[in-house]
Parts: sequence; structure tokens; C-alpha cells
Amino acid sequence: MSDRSSEERPGTTAAAGGPLGASTQLSPTPTPDTSYTMDELMITVMARQLHGEVLVSSVTALGALAAHLAKRTHAPDLAVLSTPESGMEVAPIPTLTLGQFLTDAQQGIPLTMEDIFDAIFLDRFRIWINPAQVDRHGHVNITAIGPWDHPNVALVGSRGIPEDTSHLSQIFYYVTSHTPRSIVEQVDFRSGAGYGPDRARELGQPGSPTLLVTNLGVFDWSGPDHTLAVVSLHPGVTAATVAEATPFPVTFPDPVPTTAEPTAAELALIRAADPLDVRKLEFLSGRAAAEGLVNIYERERQALHAAVWPHRRSR
Amino acid sequence: MNKLMRIDEVVDAIPAGATIAVGGSSLSRKPMSLVRALAARGRGDFRLIVDVGGPEVDLLLGTEKVRQVVYAFVGFEIMGLAPHFRRARESGSVAFQEWTEFTVMAGLDATVKRVPFLPTHVGLGTDVLAVNDAFRRFPDPFGGETLVAVPALAPDFALIHVNLADPQGNGVILGDGHVDVLCAKAAKRTILSAERVVSAEELQRYGRDVQIHRIHVDGVVEAQWGAHFTGCAPYYRADLRHVQDYLTAARDSASWAAYVDRFIGDRHADYIAAVGGAEALIGRLEV
Repeated sequence: MSDRSSEERPGTTAAAGGPLGASTQLSPTPTPDTSYTMDELMITVMARQLHGEVLVSSVTALGALAAHLAKRTHAPDLAVLSTPESGMEVAPIPTLTLGQFLTDAQQGIPLTMEDIFDAIFLDRFRIWINPAQVDRHGHVNITAIGPWDHPNVALVGSRGIPEDTSHLSQIFYYVTSHTPRSIVEQVDFRSGAGYGPDRARELGQPGSPTLLVTNLGVFDWSGPDHTLAVVSLHPGVTAATVAEATPFPVTFPDPVPTTAEPTAAELALIRAADPLDVRKLEFLSGRAAAEGLVNIYERERQALHAAVWPHRRSR
Repeated sequence: MNKLMRIDEVVDAIPAGATIAVGGSSLSRKPMSLVRALAARGRGDFRLIVDVGGPEVDLLLGTEKVRQVVYAFVGFEIMGLAPHFRRARESGSVAFQEWTEFTVMAGLDATVKRVPFLPTHVGLGTDVLAVNDAFRRFPDPFGGETLVAVPALAPDFALIHVNLADPQGNGVILGDGHVDVLCAKAAKRTILSAERVVSAEELQRYGRDVQIHRIHVDGVVEAQWGAHFTGCAPYYRADLRHVQDYLTAARDSASWAAYVDRFIGDRHADYIAAVGGAEALIGRLEV
């Protein structure tokens, strides 16, 4: 189920959602500002999908900030996990090395792996996953590019995605770079189940992919035979751009809605919750990513001390 | 019973071909002092079982000590892919069996409960069932729906790093226990490395943080900074500078040989000196 009503506001500022690399500011802008970057647009869209009293993973920075934003706006009952270790009822401040420290400092309620998987099996869990490949039918891959037993690129292994896709009634995916490498006709390995004959035969409805958010738009699998379809396109993105970046036909609604932009209040919440801009690392690669990472790593102890350290548990 | 051991005694106790489960999670609380000792002079041909693996798997692959890896994940998280894991997967030089996070837990739990398998829906609709022939589909004997049988995973040894231990083998984990308790219970022999060994009286004050119980533990090694270069909350964070050095060294065989020569051995004190000494680590990593 996608919350389409919130997507159907016409876009106003076509130029606003520019490429992320252009933004290098490292602290929140003090005056109200409605210009935003792609990470912030995507986080806002992702947040709007989270509802009710469920445990929400924050294993990535974008996922953490989406959960945080939802909880601080329309979904106050969400039980948000800390980043990335297992505690809840804390602000999931994105960090590279301080997840457990922040959970402790904020006196988060500890959860075990059993607690988390039980929440998944009971369908009281939501997660935004960023796979290496997502396909036309909603299968996803984080395991390998090429054949599993002699891959061209061995990735990381299926981790907990099979658990999610065999038990959750809603599954959310995001991809920060919508290209023919990441959005594919058919994944090389199904780490997560999409729509297809195997699902009908063995799995039934649980785990049906719900929504895909990319840097071009918002998609679901409401096309013919559960194929990828546009829900909305981000401001300034044309149907031609999407068609060029997607190596198979995509279904478009007529007219095509424009993704609702973040409000000033939403932008302020995101920026305050991620003072080190960890979210922007997900859009970088190569040298820029390495430099950004070192910069955050060297600064995060000091920066986060000030924010949450007073309650630190003594050794 | 006093279960204190030296690291070299742990290495001597683990035979060639042993199945070893490793606790921790990616860059968090891996028993790296024990792993380095096994990488240096372990007998090898090991079968590793990890839920969320990272440097421990990569280092033992990079020193050619591994026959098979059972894993749900092996990687360096935000730092990237695990280089020796990637190379071994792509070349097929080592056997790999892809599991998932819950099924590794279920496999260990089956051993604890002394049943041959545990049932689940996990894996249906995915290719994990196509590439991992350890799993079997079977019909629910009551209702007929398709289930997956997750076979028991039975480690010979479990290696776990804890914050504190007493000499009898009780272990305190301050924070996320990951799958360490299951590893400790499922393994025939469990070895703890601990940041600090304290008396039984002092350890008992930690109440529910005593996550590992001595009835499942066979050996205790004291190793301050024993998880380095992974983190050990709330004492120290992961050393991402060293992770970068590791990843750089793994790019070619000459620099990797130099890395192994400089850092990999069974004397933990030598390692701490090689990474700059405890004072430098405190400055960089203590939180």
C-alpha cells in the first residue's frame, strides 16, 4: 500500500532537486530554507510510508532519518531502532562507529536479535532496504553480480532480506542512483522475493514489495503482471529520463504526478538529526566517499558528545 | 574451576578441520586477538560459521586457513566489500554456503535443542534455496504448506569476545549480544577473550549483563583491546583508519604479505605495539 495521496501535489520548484554532489555545506542552515538536496527529498518520501506502532529499522542513514522524521511528524507511535545496534526509543543519530554508544548514552531499551526477528515474523517491523539491484518484478539482490558460484562481483550475502520478504506485508526499497546497473530486467540473484510464480506457489502474499524510491521518482509494482510502474516523478524529472535510465518498459500514469517536496519543517528535522551529514555518504563513491567518510570519522566523537553524552553510562 | 588460558594454548587446542563459530557482528566485538593467532599459526582447513561476518572471515581467508564459510553476510559495512572474501568467492578457491541471519540462528538453536532441524518460511521465493543445498523444502505434516527445514549447525568451537569475564567463564557483554549466546551454547567448546578478567564476586554485580554463562564455557583469555580493529562498546569504537590500511594492503600480494608480517601473530602485546601502543589507541578510539 502506498500513500499516494501525499505524492500528488504538483511540483513547484523544478530546479530544486539537483545532484547531491553540489552540496558541501556541513551544518544546518540557520534561516528557514526550502531548497533541498536529493537525500532530503528521498528521506521525506520514505518517511511518509511509515505508520502505526511497529518497530522500524534504521540500518542505513537514509532509513534512520526517514524513521526519525516519520516519528516526529505523522507517526508518533513508531518504535524506532537505533543506528545500527539493537536498542529502541532513542533518536537514531546517523554515525559510522558510535551506534551502541549512542544507544547507551540515550538509555535506549535493549533488544536482542530474537526480539527483532520475532517482530519480523509477526509483521510488526518495517525497513527501508537499499539493494544493489532491483528488478522489474520486485526481486532484489545484495549477494552477487553474475552467477552465484563464480560471480563477477561477490557482494555481501543475503543477510536478513529473505526474512523480510517471507514475512512482512510491506517491504520498502530505495536506490540512490537509478541506472541500468541498479534497476534491471531481472536480478542476477534473488536475495529477496518479488512477484512471480515462486511467490504464488510457495509464499502467498507476505513480503510483497510495496514501494521503490530512487533519485528519479517513486515506483510500485502495479503495472501489468506486477511490473514496475511510476507513482510520481521527482520535480524536474521527465518520463524520458526515467525511460532512458530503466532497461525495460515502465508503466506511467496519465497525468504523471510530481513528488511532493519536503517542507521547511521536515528539512529542519532531518538536518538537526544528522549534523555530520552522514546521509550524504550514500550518494558518493570512490575518492569523494573515502574523504567524506574520514572527515566524519574524525569528527563524530566530538560532535556527538555535545549532543547526547550527559547520560553516558559509567564503566 | 579456573579456565584461564593463554592465546597460544587456544591455538594448540583447535585441530585442523575444526568447525568454528565466531561471535560479534561485522565491525563490532569480533574476537580478533584469537583470530589473528589462528591466522598466524592455526592448523587451518577450518569451517567457519558466522551470522554477520567481517574482518575475522576475511583475515582467515587471506591467510589460507579456511575450507568452507557458512555465512549470512560478510563485509566491512560502510567501508566496503571484504577483499579476500570477494576474491575467494569470485575464484571459487574456497567453498561457500550462503545462509541468512535468522537461519544461522535457527541452525545453532537446533543444535542447542538437540533436534536435526527447525522449520521456517525464510528463504521461500529467493535463490538462497537454489544455491544452498543444506536446506530442504518439506510439507507441514499438519496443514500441508511448504516449509524450509534448517539443519542443525554444530560448531566444534565458538570464539567470542566479551567486555568482562571471570576465571570460571561467566561473560559480561555490555550492549548488543548479537548471536554470541547461541554460539556459546551450540559449540562443543567455547573460548572467551575478555577486555578484562575480574573476580567472580565483581562479575556477579553486572546482573543481566552477564550474558554468557560458565556452564557453556571452556576457556578464558584476557586480551585488552582484543577486538581491535573492530569496536568493543562501550570501551572503544571500530578503528576505521586501520580498516583502510587493511583494505589497502589487501589489494596486492606484496603489500598483503607485509601487512601479515607486521600485524599477524599469536602475541597480542606485539600487535598492540605494532598498531602504535595502548596510549595511541586510547586517544583515537576510546569514546
